[in-house]
Formats: sequence, C-alpha cells, structure tokens
Amino acid sequence: MDDRFDDLLRDSARDYNDPPDTPREELWQRIVAARDAEKAAPKEQTEGVERHRVLPFRRLRDIRPNRPLTWAAGIAAVLALGIGLGRLSVDQPATVTTTAPAPVSPAGPRVSGTAYRVATTEHLSQSEAFLTLFRASVRQKGNEQLASATARQLLATNRLLLDSPAADDARTRLLLQDLELVLAEIAQLSPQPRSRDLELIKEGLEQGGVLSRLRTAVPAGTSATRGAL
Amino acid sequence: MEERELISRVLAGDPSAERALYDAHVDRVFRLAYRMAGDMDKAQDYTQETFIRAFSRLQTFRGDAALSTWLGSIAISVTLNGLRKVRRRNEREVGLDDFTPARHTRPEADPDLKTRLNQAIDGLPEGYRAVFIMHDVEGYTHEEIGATLGVHPGTSKAQLFRARARLREVLADFAKD
Repeated sequence: MDDRFDDLLRDSARDYNDPPDTPREELWQRIVAARDAEKAAPKEQTEGVERHRVLPFRRLRDIRPNRPLTWAAGIAAVLALGIGLGRLSVDQPATVTTTAPAPVSPAGPRVSGTAYRVATTEHLSQSEAFLTLFRASVRQKGNEQLASATARQLLATNRLLLDSPAADDARTRLLLQDLELVLAEIAQLSPQPRSRDLELIKEGLEQGGVLSRLRTAVPAGTSATRGAL
Repeated sequence: MEERELISRVLAGDPSAERALYDAHVDRVFRLAYRMAGDMDKAQDYTQETFIRAFSRLQTFRGDAALSTWLGSIAISVTLNGLRKVRRRNEREVGLDDFTPARHTRPEADPDLKTRLNQAIDGLPEGYRAVFIMHDVEGYTHEEIGATLGVHPGTSKAQLFRARARLREVLADFAKD
C-alpha cells in the first residue's frame, strides 16, 4: 500500500510548481546588468558590508592546531550554542535538524533581540575561531574529518540564525550567507582531501574576506572557546 | 568544450565562456528555483543571484563534485534564504503542523488529489520539502542531494522518508484507496 501510494505521490507531484520555459535571454541580460552595476559601484558596496577592511593584526601563536582537545572544545562549544539556539526556538519541529531548520514562529514565545544578538555574536565568534584554526592547519594532515564535523555543526547553527530575527540586519545576513558557503565547502571535505582543495578553501576564505569580516563583527574577548584555542 | 576548460576560460575573463557556462546550467537552476518558489519573479531573482554568486566565486570551485552540483548548492542556499526572507516579511508561517488531515473529505478524483498534494507539499518543513522536490519531482539522486545540501546521502534518504510519511498522513484518505 505504501509503495503504491509513494508511486502515486511521485506521479502527482511532477506537476507541483511545474516550471515554464526558462527565460534565458531575459535572465542573462539581468545577470549582465547586475554584474556591470556591481563592478561600476564597488566602493559603495564594499563600504556597505565593510569588505576588505584593514584589520588589526592578530597573532596566531596561541593556536595549537594539532591538539585533539582543541577541536573537541570547539565542537562542544558549537553543540552548546546549537542547543541554546534550539531552546530559543522552542516551537520548531524537533525533527528538522540537518538541511535547513524550520523558521522561528512569530506566534511563539517572544525572545528579546538581545538574546539573538548574543547568540549571533557567539556563533560568529565560534566560526571565526574555527576558521582561523582551519586556515592555520591547512597544511597539516589528519584533522579533516574533525574539521568537516565541526563545520557541519556550525552550518546547522548558521542556518538557524539565518532563519531567525538575527538575520534582519542586512550586514549580519550577508555575513551569515557568505559564511554558509564557506562552511558548506569545509563540511563537504573528503576524508583525504587533496592539498589543492584545502588551499582553494583557504584562498576562498581570504578572497571573500569572510574571516576579516568575522573579526570585525566579533567584539574582542567574546569567544567562549578562545581560551581553549 | 570540457567543463574544466570552460571554467578556466571563465576565470580568464572570456565572456563567451561565461555565456556557455550559463547556457549549460541555467535550465537546471531555474527549474529548481521555480519548483521551490512557485513564482516566476522569485525564480528569476534566485536564478540571477545564483549565477552572480557563482561567477564571483568560481575560483573557489574545487572540482570535487560536478559544477552542476556546486551550482545547485548555491541555488538552494539562495532560494531557501530568499523564501525565508519573504516568509519573515509576510509574518506568515505555513508549518506542517498547521495541516490537519482532512479526515472527512472523500477522495473523488485525481485533480482533488493534486490540489491537496500541492498544499501538503507547500506545508512541509523546508528541509523535507527541498529533499522531496529534488528527489521525487526533479529526479536528483540522494548522492546529488547530499552534495548539494551539504549532508550525507543517508540524511537525504531519511528526510525523504519523513516527507513522504507526512504527506501520507495529510493525504490519509487517498492512501486508504
């Protein structure tokens, strides 16, 4: 019965939001125009999101990339943050955890903006610590699986935040969206990634300015894991 | 032209290669965006944003997965973010829990099933909905879905199983027949 119904579901679902023909030319013109506009006004855009901002030099001497405890502390902190966020959005279905979380219900309990700000700052701080550690350990083998697991946890938290009022702020939203792509790349790392893959993620991090923007967004001394890192 | 060569030419600033890359992938991206959004304007917005992001980040494409998978992961991220923004703006949430199975409705004909099925898919939690659309509607494999969404294929299978279970629950009257 279930199999027959699944077949019926699949057959009927093929008409769901049935797409028309792709408006190729119209879309291409829009893309070209948008990219031209972006190139013509790079200054305004970069000022808007503080891209490429010159940041104070931060020493990495306290980073000990090879210590499993360091990674474990990072993962534990990320899990704790995830649980905290989960409690903020108490009315979400408990089963939605992996690909994209359900939105925080507007009808649910009111949570002050401060709580989301604190959670966002903590998440950005965790991400900054993680990415700094990741970048520093790019050339050292053996941590890829831990890095991938941590990135997946951070990705889940990132998606929760994107779905929350924390993302109402345009600058924060842009940062979270860019962070999502970086974390997704690390989350998809194979157990034995090629050196070139790691280098490309590192380059992507630097070219997109994600790490720099994270450092700008995180007030000094807020990271719960900084002591461990 | 091979994909790798095409990418190299795009990175070197060749406009015809950009157009070729766009032509090769726009249908798949647009179809996914339209299936998810159900709206022409939104689907166009999300497709446009996907390609703008893709061109600006192409140097980070590692080639582990197919370019189509990489583009799909950008498209799904852009689309889900866009839909969340719309939902927040409208202050409207359509959660699955809002869908009470219509226990006293008699199934009459396929058109009725399709209408209710469409409503039920709309009401799925977005993670389930994305997997259901990608697998059962657009024909992606679990491996492709996993790579696109950044999850294990097993997670994709589990999400699809749960999505179908929810749909069966909502469409219980049809399932009986």
